[in-house]
Amino acid sequence: MRTMKTVALAGAALAFLAWGCEPSAPEARVAQGDLQRSFRVALLTPGPVSDAGWNAMAFRGLQAIQKDLGATVNNQETSETKIRDAMRSYAQEGYDLVFGHGFEYNEPAVEVAKDFPKTVFVSSSGGKTAPNAGAFRFALEEGFYVAGYVSGMMTKTGKVAMIGGPDVPSIRSTFKAFRAGAERAKPGVQVIETFTGKDADVAAAKQATLAAIGQGADFVVHQANAAAQGVFDACKEKGVAAFGANLDQNDNASGVVLGSAVINAEPAFLGLAKSVKEGTYQGGIEVYGMKQGAIDFVWNPNLASKVPAMVQEMVERLKGDITSGKLSVPMDQF
Amino acid sequence: MDLSFLVQLLRFGAPVGLASLGESVGQKSGLINIGLEGQMLAGAYAGVLASLATGSPYIGLLAGVGASLGLGLLQGLFVIRLALDQVVVGTSVNLVALGATSTLFRAQFGSSGQLLSVPALPRFGPGLDLVVLAVVPLVALVAWVMARTKFGLVLRACGEYPSAAEAAGFSAQRVRWLAAVIGGLFAGLAGAYLSIGVAGSFAESMTAGRGFVAIAMVTFGRWRPWGVFAASVLVGGLEALQFEFQARGVGLPHQALIALPYVVALVVLVVVGKGGGAPAALGQPYERAR
Repeated sequence: MRTMKTVALAGAALAFLAWGCEPSAPEARVAQGDLQRSFRVALLTPGPVSDAGWNAMAFRGLQAIQKDLGATVNNQETSETKIRDAMRSYAQEGYDLVFGHGFEYNEPAVEVAKDFPKTVFVSSSGGKTAPNAGAFRFALEEGFYVAGYVSGMMTKTGKVAMIGGPDVPSIRSTFKAFRAGAERAKPGVQVIETFTGKDADVAAAKQATLAAIGQGADFVVHQANAAAQGVFDACKEKGVAAFGANLDQNDNASGVVLGSAVINAEPAFLGLAKSVKEGTYQGGIEVYGMKQGAIDFVWNPNLASKVPAMVQEMVERLKGDITSGKLSVPMDQF
Repeated sequence: MDLSFLVQLLRFGAPVGLASLGESVGQKSGLINIGLEGQMLAGAYAGVLASLATGSPYIGLLAGVGASLGLGLLQGLFVIRLALDQVVVGTSVNLVALGATSTLFRAQFGSSGQLLSVPALPRFGPGLDLVVLAVVPLVALVAWVMARTKFGLVLRACGEYPSAAEAAGFSAQRVRWLAAVIGGLFAGLAGAYLSIGVAGSFAESMTAGRGFVAIAMVTFGRWRPWGVFAASVLVGGLEALQFEFQARGVGLPHQALIALPYVVALVVLVVVGKGGGAPAALGQPYERAR
């Protein structure tokens, strides 16, 4: 009886695990057998690609590579100590490009790249390079700077807020830019900064936003990815405006998103994959900002009537200055 | 501090409060439900799906309770009927719930996800809703049942010394099944209320550890319904307070503020935590001698 139970439990546990740990791109694995020599691209993300934000954006880039270049693609959620193992596994399986979506992938990439000269390793941000490893960095700060500027121009209370998930360097850097933009428009503006410390905690994001609004904030920007709905709903409940981040969130059901600081990642991902496929990739660090068309601040057309023409005009001028290089937005190096 | 702020506090604290209340019943019967987090997550997702499909948040709550109950019964099969290790089974339940909800969420709403917005639970007065109103009566009901009814007495006996309950003519397994059902109901209500009533949305692993916090609240509250409720209110209140501190910009690092509720709970446990009070047969499977 005892052994039977153990077997039953082990079987059930295995079934659970098989279901729970299924890679998120089963459609990609199907093609592997008969496409031995196809171009292969892997994506490593720090969080689930279903977060409708930072990770989702990279996943869309990967899908574009699959569609436009006919590449075989795969992706994995991996962090910390597992990063190197995942990179090595992909390289051993003959992947041509392994992309790590975060600064934390930069060091492992450069280290692993030495052992696998035929594979290219690229991370989002980071400062180290090798002949077959490098980084590209989305200057989302430029979009946040513009959003901050708008909030500074339009705030009636003189208080605006930033709600973040976990406190990581990339989020901190965008918040600095938002603050700088707000202060440029309205010197002395008070910028509230709150972190929930958690990635997917929608309720905590809502609670943090309500607390910030309670302190008088009437414009809220977020870096909460999957928890962003909590921020937007809190804004709706209290009748204040919000900004979207990473993806264009202007059509959010809450109807409070005045504009979004967006990353248009597909061209960057496609360009990188093309250079790897053609064998022209050289390593190095590339910045993708407004100038390259990768970053933008887009107004919500449905709320345009609420934005004074003067503000819209100033924003256009600001975007022009950033694009031409006349204005450089503060940006942390990490 | 006005009334609507108090109601808001109760609303954000309700998921942990309800889940820990159910957990306290289970633990009193000798079942430690490590799968609470997974049951809540299943309830949260089923609740969102059903309320999106029907447009009714109340049907959503029911669906959430149903999903969690189903998972609770599955867990009961392993830990009660087959008398397997409760911690191992509970951990598996957490894994299956996380895997299943994530897989289904992506299948339903696309691999890159969506920011879902679900129909809100109707509110009245200073932000009250049906679940918030039910919390305190439910605590009172559980306290009364546990302390004043025969069922409560037998249930507590099964957590202390199941053989004695059996000798008195009760089936320890049947009592634990009932406790598992009660725990499943509370976990489902807690999860569905978290997604429908509090967050108004769903995200993968949105329970964010609340199930584990709820288990800790049972210990903190000394296995007494009112104690468990008080512990949940204290920790929930401190959580709200730390967001106030962050918004007001007190000169403390937010990492310290986020940890504040748990540090306080730990300190309270250390200072007043003498005596224990854990059910003697907690976590021990009961099998009749053959």
